[in-house]
Amino acid sequence: MTRLARTSVWPGIALAGGVLVACLLVSLAFGPASLSLGEVWHFVTTGPVQGDLPNAIFWQIRLPRVLVACLVGAELAVAGVILQDLFLNPLTDPYVTGVSSGAALGATIGIVLHMSNLPWMTVLALIGGFATLGIVWMAARRRGRIDIFVLLLAGVTISYLASAVVTVLMIRANQDMYAIVYWLMGSFSGRGWPDVEIALVAVPFMIAPLFFAKEMDILLQGEKRALELGVEVERTKRVLLVTAGVLTAIAVSVSGIIGFVGLVVPHIVRLLVGPGHRSLLPVSLLLGASMMGIADLLSRTVIAPNEIPVGVVTTFVGAPLFVYLLRRGRKG
Amino acid sequence: MSTTRTRRGLAAIILLAAVTLAVVGALALAGCGSDGSAGGEASPAASASAGPITVTDGTGTTVTMDQPATRIVSLAPANTEIAYAIGAGDKMVAGTSYDDYPEEAKSLPKIGDFANPNVEKIASFEPDLVLAAGGIQDKLRSKLEKLGMKVYVVDPKTYEGVMTDITNLGQLAGSKEQAQQVADTMQKAMDDVQAQVASASRPATFLEIYSKPLMTAGGETFIDDMITLAGGTNLGATAGSGFPTFSTEVLFSNDPDVYIADSGSMSKPGDINKRAGFDVLTAVKDGHVYVIEDSLIARPGPRLAQGLQELVKMIHPEAAAAQ
Repeated sequence: MTRLARTSVWPGIALAGGVLVACLLVSLAFGPASLSLGEVWHFVTTGPVQGDLPNAIFWQIRLPRVLVACLVGAELAVAGVILQDLFLNPLTDPYVTGVSSGAALGATIGIVLHMSNLPWMTVLALIGGFATLGIVWMAARRRGRIDIFVLLLAGVTISYLASAVVTVLMIRANQDMYAIVYWLMGSFSGRGWPDVEIALVAVPFMIAPLFFAKEMDILLQGEKRALELGVEVERTKRVLLVTAGVLTAIAVSVSGIIGFVGLVVPHIVRLLVGPGHRSLLPVSLLLGASMMGIADLLSRTVIAPNEIPVGVVTTFVGAPLFVYLLRRGRKG
Repeated sequence: MSTTRTRRGLAAIILLAAVTLAVVGALALAGCGSDGSAGGEASPAASASAGPITVTDGTGTTVTMDQPATRIVSLAPANTEIAYAIGAGDKMVAGTSYDDYPEEAKSLPKIGDFANPNVEKIASFEPDLVLAAGGIQDKLRSKLEKLGMKVYVVDPKTYEGVMTDITNLGQLAGSKEQAQQVADTMQKAMDDVQAQVASASRPATFLEIYSKPLMTAGGETFIDDMITLAGGTNLGATAGSGFPTFSTEVLFSNDPDVYIADSGSMSKPGDINKRAGFDVLTAVKDGHVYVIEDSLIARPGPRLAQGLQELVKMIHPEAAAAQ
């Protein structure tokens, strides 16, 4: 504790910030449309120009897409840190709480009812996500306390239930099956400024957990110890759970379900800066954004003019890394 | 304690992933199937009026029937449409839950959905001829044939391939004349359209199958063939065969003259003119953005003739108006 408190968190954060800036520059500089670096720089300096097609490729297609990808990556990574540490469970990711399955169910209902255009799809996904969080919450509440383990199990159960309903809807409304499957796979294709605006709503929720960094550090030692040390355990848990739920629901509503970033980024960052939340949270935020930005860059460029679903890229990168980390963790 | 729950959490993720993979895999197979082999070819043996009827189906397999079919099951909406168009509607004993054209087809008993045809269910209708689609359904062939049914796979890659399938099915169902009439109508629509666009330029045309992610009709599809017949150049053909995803940036840098969105079974495209950034596209500036009904271009049946006429109105409005 004392060691963590004394170590300055700024070098780590500055370094991660540098990585994000580099990733942003690379993501903006390269794309399937052959814009030269000089052109890109020109567009950056002139700003958006009405009616100029190459300019529109940069300002209306590439830039908003990169921003959405980075924001979603950051949202999932921060939600991942919160949930892993709240559940004291390294395998937790933002999707275990059932929020994402609930959001997926909401979006599926949107597709089936042919309300698949913004903002309806997002609104329904958010409603689905929050409704699930509410149900899981009520299941886990005992005498004013939230039982974290019941919450986790209830989340997994609700996840299954929501997925089953999605499957039923897929079979019943089989004409929409492809639309549902593509949505569930997750993608940043066709995302523009309206999606950026939605993803930006999550920014306060990415920053809020920083104010609870100390409480989160203490909670790692268990709720009992935290109570002894004077932490308002239940209040902290409530705030953090709602925060993680909002982050997940917003991310899923914009991009669909993209795996591994929320699971792997927190682990990588713990290896780099340790478990202290004053650096774990901001560095995860920055590296989550970086990882998703690069994953989307690969998704849209590697086999252009086709695209690889971004979830495939994050999984191909994330899965081997995660297995490696698990093995390393077991040895240690 | 916590390890058990951890394992459950992991199991949930793995199971979900497995289910997703299975679904995606099945869909991928279905997608791949549509760009398999060439459309069916009429066999010379079939021209004999008496004796067994022999035709070659979309997979290159020879299908022989001793006498015209009397009980037909269709496993795809397009096949159902063909059967009714050639006057074999009264021989239809079952169709799919997607069948929506013609009106009579809706009341047919259903064998289930397109992706999961149930062999037992199909057999229970005791058909002598099963009209399958390409892809995963092709794999049902051996099972169905063991049960004594004949299977004809409709899997055309071109507009003319659809005409061949129609005349072949006319022979198998004993309605040669009416099938020939349907094929002739399709031929005439094609000839007329070809005459209209013969000397015209070939505008770059983008056909949107789905918007998020952006998907198009690639080469080796009858949609690609129809865009070409209607005097356009299919931008999607540069992205490979089948129905590939397509980069929005590449769409913009190619700046198509005509933008056509498919509407119906997969999505409602919404107002394309109002999509962010689309105002700079030539097709949008010139007012050449259109929506076409999915079943007229994406269903390999007799209504493709109508789809072709719609396409030429969109790609060459001046030529279509001059007619």
